[in-house]
Amino acid sequence: MNRKRSLLQNIFLTLAILTVLFFCLFPFIQILSTSLKHQFDWGNPSLIPVKFNFNAYKELLGFVGSTEEQIPQTIKKLLDNPLITKEQREKILSKYISTSDVFPFPRFFLNTFLLSSSAASISLALAVFGAYAFSRLRFGGRTIIQRSTLFVYMVGGVMLMVPLYQMSVKVGLAKTVWGSLFSLLLIYIIQTLPVSLYMLGNYFRTIPYSIEEAATTDGCSRIQSIFLIIIPLSVPMLVTVFVYCFIIAWNEFLFASVFLKQYHNFHTLPLALQSLFVSKNAIWDRIMAASMLTLIPVVICFLFVMRHLSGGLAEGGVKE
Amino acid sequence: MASVIFENVNKWFGKTKVLHNINLEIEESEFVVLVGPSGCGKSTTLRLLAGLEDITEGKIYINDKMVNFLEPQHRNIAMVFQNYALYPHKNVQENIIFGLKRAKASKDLIESRLDKASKMLQLQDLLDRKPAQLSGGQRQRVAMGRAIVRDADVFLYDEPLSNLDAKLRSQMRYEIRRIHREYQTTSIYVTHDQVEAMTLGDRVVVMRDGFIEQEGSPMDLYLKPKNIFVATFIGAPSMNILDAILYPGYIELEDQKLPLDKHLVKESIPPAGKKVKFGIRPDFFQDEQHASGSESLTTLKNVRIDIIEPLGYDRELNLQLGNQNLKARLDLRTAVKEGETINLCFDMNRAHIFDIETEKNLTL
Repeated sequence: MNRKRSLLQNIFLTLAILTVLFFCLFPFIQILSTSLKHQFDWGNPSLIPVKFNFNAYKELLGFVGSTEEQIPQTIKKLLDNPLITKEQREKILSKYISTSDVFPFPRFFLNTFLLSSSAASISLALAVFGAYAFSRLRFGGRTIIQRSTLFVYMVGGVMLMVPLYQMSVKVGLAKTVWGSLFSLLLIYIIQTLPVSLYMLGNYFRTIPYSIEEAATTDGCSRIQSIFLIIIPLSVPMLVTVFVYCFIIAWNEFLFASVFLKQYHNFHTLPLALQSLFVSKNAIWDRIMAASMLTLIPVVICFLFVMRHLSGGLAEGGVKE
Repeated sequence: MASVIFENVNKWFGKTKVLHNINLEIEESEFVVLVGPSGCGKSTTLRLLAGLEDITEGKIYINDKMVNFLEPQHRNIAMVFQNYALYPHKNVQENIIFGLKRAKASKDLIESRLDKASKMLQLQDLLDRKPAQLSGGQRQRVAMGRAIVRDADVFLYDEPLSNLDAKLRSQMRYEIRRIHREYQTTSIYVTHDQVEAMTLGDRVVVMRDGFIEQEGSPMDLYLKPKNIFVATFIGAPSMNILDAILYPGYIELEDQKLPLDKHLVKESIPPAGKKVKFGIRPDFFQDEQHASGSESLTTLKNVRIDIIEPLGYDRELNLQLGNQNLKARLDLRTAVKEGETINLCFDMNRAHIFDIETEKNLTL
């Protein structure tokens, strides 16, 4: 086991690791690099920008207001006329402020964040009780129910897209924006639930049942022992499952594109990025900066999970 | 404190019957030990009483109140588990007072109980530690503390010492005795270790395959076992069981005729002889050379010494009589060597004769 590696083996191993790392990380480096380049620099294959350009980030995060177009002198004079009401003035002005280029990143960010975090929270809450039932309670049809929830996960989203949209149209949810958001929320919950159930169920099984039995003899009902024993002991796994659901919902494009297409203000980030990508005058630094900013929560979540997964909370309670 | 009654209790796990017609009455403040080999149903019996398993048939009463349909949290019992079952995310103090807090006890009461229990179990310095930072013995003491702070009607111990090493075990046995003397709570203790059964129990219940084989005081079981199973299960080293033929007035053991008071065996003996099992505890043998003359002793001659195991004051001799193996425990005065022969004396009234078919003790 502890055999010493020769120098050659060491070099080979290091090279192999670096190659794999490079393949994984290169796209992200490319995104970062492009997001920091000026337009004249886009064609340059070098990863380091000739001159750093933070305008895209500033613009996305709202540090720079929308660029005012040149207003012709005659119009300016017209606006100065005190007879024009405030409303009329704004109407005229709006014609000269281009909205086609404005990308309300904070708004999309907030949309996505609210949708993802509520989907993840509800999915987690349902999964705690579902997984508890699967791992602890004895009831008829348990295995069948358990397997059929996993079955949902095996069907690709594309296949379900049309029927699900039809369903929500028939029920009348797709008519309004809140109904559409609600349908989307439901879909995210259902999509993430199977794996949440599976992950949590397996985790609960590692918590010795005798700890719960001890809690019941100490006067806890089953619900109390879930809240006082099971949940505190599962915090690392709960965090993991939450982050997993959150990231799935955060990155989801397909269903969002169907349900939210007509509601521009409620677009999620993947949807908004897509519209940036296909817009006529692709502004690469902005697209890449937006991508970078979209990535950040995911990376934070990931680091958070890494921190928490290492600690085994259930250790020490029982003799194995 | 409470009395506990098992009335015709049967338990099935699916199609397997694991408890057969258990009838048991436990008085207030009594310390009862359920003992038997693994799979005999002793733990199941305890778990039925705790409410952790459902009763298939029969009734269980705590304090004359039937508890069949009562959830565990409403039975007012405290249980100590084999694997400690501490709450890993709580420290020692929180572990101990968890039940009291559930019962909404007052702060003063919680504090005084915690104080008393942690002093008794020497846990004062460990109250802030998490279970993972404790040794096995300390963890089991915490588990015991968790039980004794509650004002429970019954204490249930499910093999609490089997995960500890031998030295700790004897120390904890002593602690459990002390706890019982102090709190006088009705206790039921499950173990497969007959030493724990003998030393702890006011009364010992021997179980096998879901049946109660015999119940009685430890010395009763030791001196008057009802059958071969109880005879060999209780007492260490276990009783020698030898093939023999019983005649009126004597018993023939590997061609040695040993005189026997005919009143010892309660049933009539055919003159042609009857094949039986002859039981004698290794502790009851004496070296003929050191035997006191005052007792009327029977002598077993020319027993070959196979292996000697010195245990300090005692030595255990593994012997051969004809083709049969037996053991004797003699004190250190006996200076013999492996391969030699020895004459062993014993009091015939201490011996047992078992039926070869039913394995019942014929001398009772």
